[in-house]
Amino acid sequence: MTEFLQSTVYGLLDGGLLALFAIGFSLVWGVMNIVNLAHGAFVVTGAYIAWKLNTAMGLDPYLGMFVAAVAMFAGGYIVQRLLINQVVNAPIWMTLLLTFGLDLLIVNGLILLFTADFRVIQTGIGSKGLALGDVRIPYERLVGFGVALAVTVLLVWFMNRTRTGLAIRTTGMDRAAARLMGVSVRHVYALTFGIAAGLAAMAGAIIGTINTFSPASAPQFTLQSFVIAVLGGLGNMWGALAGGLTLGLVQAWGGQYLSGTLVNAIAFGVLVLVLIVRPAGLVGRPYYEARAEA
Amino acid sequence: MARRVGPLSRLGGSWWMWVGALAALIVLALAPTYLLLESEQRTLGSVFMFVVLAQGWNLIGGFAGYPSFGNVVFFGLGGYTTAILMAKARAGFWITLPAAGLVGLLFAVLMGIPILRLRGHYFAIATLGVAEGMREVVINTGGLTGGNKGITVPAVGAEATTSYPGNTGFYYMFLVLAVVTMAVVWAVARSRFGYSLRAISQDEDAAAAAGINTTRAKIAAFALAGLLTALAGAIFAFQQVTIYPDRLFAVDTTVLMVVMAVIGGAGTVVGPMIGAVALQYLSEWLRDNFTDYHTFVFGGIIVLAVLLMPMGLVNFTREAWQQRRIALLDATRRYRL
Repeated sequence: MTEFLQSTVYGLLDGGLLALFAIGFSLVWGVMNIVNLAHGAFVVTGAYIAWKLNTAMGLDPYLGMFVAAVAMFAGGYIVQRLLINQVVNAPIWMTLLLTFGLDLLIVNGLILLFTADFRVIQTGIGSKGLALGDVRIPYERLVGFGVALAVTVLLVWFMNRTRTGLAIRTTGMDRAAARLMGVSVRHVYALTFGIAAGLAAMAGAIIGTINTFSPASAPQFTLQSFVIAVLGGLGNMWGALAGGLTLGLVQAWGGQYLSGTLVNAIAFGVLVLVLIVRPAGLVGRPYYEARAEA
Repeated sequence: MARRVGPLSRLGGSWWMWVGALAALIVLALAPTYLLLESEQRTLGSVFMFVVLAQGWNLIGGFAGYPSFGNVVFFGLGGYTTAILMAKARAGFWITLPAAGLVGLLFAVLMGIPILRLRGHYFAIATLGVAEGMREVVINTGGLTGGNKGITVPAVGAEATTSYPGNTGFYYMFLVLAVVTMAVVWAVARSRFGYSLRAISQDEDAAAAAGINTTRAKIAAFALAGLLTALAGAIFAFQQVTIYPDRLFAVDTTVLMVVMAVIGGAGTVVGPMIGAVALQYLSEWLRDNFTDYHTFVFGGIIVLAVLLMPMGLVNFTREAWQQRRIALLDATRRYRL
């Protein structure tokens, strides 16, 4: 029973972080119809920025994560504005290829800069934790979860209550109409991509305090983003949170009770099944038509 | 302009194209004896293999416009069918090869029936999910597949069910498969089937309204891709002797197929072949000259290629030839926001 509770707690706490980086992926996909294969690389880059600031200048990672987020926001904005906007209307494999090329550039750039060694970011609250009966909750995970939750709520507020957020959502619903309403689509696309990159970097910085990471972790984060975005429905922020928590739980329980990597097989099985049965995701509805017959 | 009439005109294309292809084929067939070192045969063999893989992707992704990101699943299934049959059932390679092709074909049909109903990114992700899931299944059924420790084909000594053909043997196997693949794609491109695939890629609803059975056409294209890719996987498994799930179901292999087909020219007959040859040699050259950062440079080349010639080398050259000008940013002007 303790084992079950412990893995449940860990699953939920990890799920919050998964949601934090997957939200941006889901947003980019939902608003621009772009699947960003470099998303995992953004997560890892965020972790490296926070790690470098911590080891070189002694900056606390919980401050460093904001620096990482701002830096990657700027980077994401520029990448979308200069590169991805150029092929937005091309057949979808173009954007897939372009972001894959970016992924190679970033991941291998990180290897050249920081080597392929595994790193971890040290925090002041290292091994301390909260004990609830037999269940232990490390502060690092708790803080990470709290930040993830707060940022998600903030993002939802931003998207629903500010003019900029509404412009993003409008563009996602109907690009032509948004243009007629005076929205600068180029800017909005770049902004959306920047937000996604910033959130990914922030999540990466937090993940770096909990687990070890290396440039090779990038594909795993991209894949998890896929699963969460599909589970939650594209562009759906609460959906991404729900999807993230679900995936976190499935992974934790799977790790506890199933042998080896069988949990991955199940995750992919569920993914394909969801796609076939409910391509709009478990919650919400899609911005884009998915099924031939729908 | 009057068309030259001759025995070749029924085949389409121009006569010099056929003479060129025939000459190239003769050179390639004789090359192992007169021109190539063993190591060069090995390199060229892998180029041929990627011609097959890129063309397999081209059938479903290029012609039908369904961007599969899980084509490697056929490659892996073909390889594992061969390895398991040779190692456990002690079958000869020439029996396992068609068996592998059949497995690839059947799996493509079974997988295609539900998944080809999805469009765009959803299709891409679903195929990716199937491929990744299949790798995990292979890893976790260790009794049959050897799991992560891999499975070894009996290839040497008295154990061998078919004697190991060596570099030259595999060179010819891949060459024959590549030539057959090119012929198949060329036949598809000129057939009614090929036109229905192109129609689906441009507007599936309109294609259905025009009387094309889109489901059947899509599944047929996918099955053909599955068959060819699985055959390549079978030969590859035999060549490698010991195969591992991570290698045979690598996402990178799928991505390479896509990159090669797209850079050469998706939906054309010769494009994927040119892409495969160019990229394979390019990555070889990068590995020799930029040992530490060849993947980095490779990523940069992909980005540049997508931005400068998103329609692929073949279409780019054709347009440049017809308009007598090199227009590097024309396609970007068409696709940008």
